[in-house]
Amino acid sequence: MNNSLPRLIDGMIATLRGEIIPHVEGDFARGQAFGLIYMLNSIRLRAAWSNEFLCEQLQALDEASRDLEGVMTDLPGAPALTLRAPSGLPTAVELESMRDQGAARVCELIDWLATHRAGAPAVAVARAEDIIDRYIHRQLKWELSTSAKPMFDEISRGSEKGA
Amino acid sequence: MMEATRKQSNPRPPLRAGSAFSDDGSARGGTFEDVGALRLRLGDYLSEQTGSPVAVDRLVKFPAGFSWITYGVSVTGFAPAAELILRLGPPYGLFAPYSAMPEFLALSALRSSAVPRPRAFYASDDVAILGAPFFVCQRVDGDTPLPWGGQGSALDGDRRESLARDFIDSLAALHGFDWRASSLAQWGESVTVDNAAALQIEEWRQRFQRWALRPHPMAHLAFAWLGQNQPKASRVAIVHGDYRLGNFLERNDRITAILDWELVHLGDPIEDLGWAFLPQYRGGTGLVCGLASEADLLARYEARSGASVDRGALKFYIVFSLLKLALTHMAAARCFEDGRFNDMRMPAMATQMAPVFRQLEKALERSS
Repeated sequence: MNNSLPRLIDGMIATLRGEIIPHVEGDFARGQAFGLIYMLNSIRLRAAWSNEFLCEQLQALDEASRDLEGVMTDLPGAPALTLRAPSGLPTAVELESMRDQGAARVCELIDWLATHRAGAPAVAVARAEDIIDRYIHRQLKWELSTSAKPMFDEISRGSEKGA
Repeated sequence: MMEATRKQSNPRPPLRAGSAFSDDGSARGGTFEDVGALRLRLGDYLSEQTGSPVAVDRLVKFPAGFSWITYGVSVTGFAPAAELILRLGPPYGLFAPYSAMPEFLALSALRSSAVPRPRAFYASDDVAILGAPFFVCQRVDGDTPLPWGGQGSALDGDRRESLARDFIDSLAALHGFDWRASSLAQWGESVTVDNAAALQIEEWRQRFQRWALRPHPMAHLAFAWLGQNQPKASRVAIVHGDYRLGNFLERNDRITAILDWELVHLGDPIEDLGWAFLPQYRGGTGLVCGLASEADLLARYEARSGASVDRGALKFYIVFSLLKLALTHMAAARCFEDGRFNDMRMPAMATQMAPVFRQLEKALERSS
């Protein structure tokens, strides 16, 4: 893939909007196309080329760099490759799983506090609840700041707002 | 016309249930979405029920709806109506698996009430008949104002006031309906003023467990708060479950029918008010469902129903409604993720979980 992901998505959206949707028959089908645009906008705010894809490229560079080290002494003045890929980079799936495991523990703590609050020290309960509230607030804030502008009107009517 | 659910002897081979899925598990239109086959099957079914030939002349699928599939049906030979609505609960729908019976029984029982609603004719959960649970009702004339796109702000002046009166009066009539004297009495054996809130919390907790794709601390926090703040209901009434702008038909400034009764149940009537109060249904206005101020709505509702609305209970049901809305968005995410439904409205709807959780967070802050 030679283009940046955001530019590719912008291009897809522009093509859908300018070249495809005007020729689609039926409100429902056009609404679905607006749904595609909305989802593409959403993806644009959160997606990047995958860790796995980049890791393989980095490892290839790492290997070439190591192999070239033995040759460079015979090529004085030639630019040397010095790249070393960090070992053990987590994949996106591993990161997601780590987040979910953490969130699951937070859920367990919330449930525990709900049933044990009466017998637990009030100050500690209040402190734990405050930390949980701040954690939830930070997660939601991040989620919202990386969300695309909703397009429900376009999706339900099959036409651009104001059209 | 007898309203009934009789199993017919099928002259045609049964439509296959579950055929909405291809071998690779991806969603695909089921045989109940094959308009040609459905037309014949429905004609057979109506003929069987009425004892005389009924022909289905036209079957048109409506684009709206995230849950049930709705068809407009033109028939000849059916005495009560020439235009009908057929609703089918597909195995891939938002709230699947479906039963047509709660909606059918509620609409049938409410025939003797002042609640504007379509007349229900037939229903069955037997998938051998049309391929999915279904019900057939009268097609009521009218348009549906939607809660988004600023359409709520287009409801103004006399039109808004007239619709507001109908909206509130219909809700008061629904909640005042003597269900104990109707066929719905069978639903009421286990619902009391003491457990009405708890039963609903438990019902939605089970849905949450079914629909969540990953852990959601905000939902746990909300369930914990609801568990600690359950109000005692002042009475047990029929609760529509989705009473809002977008779920009624209007014509000439009057509400002609309240629609979408799939979540109907017995419970605390304030539950419907909490749902109607949601910011999502204000249509860009500050008004409840784009129709009336909170104070005006409550004043008229109390006058019409003769029952005062406990403001603490209302707060509880607004919080509960926000949670239910977030969970409904979760259902959309689940539905799409499982490959049951490729409708792009599903992932679009799922994106609204975070904004609703944010509103829930604010509501809990205000309530603590």
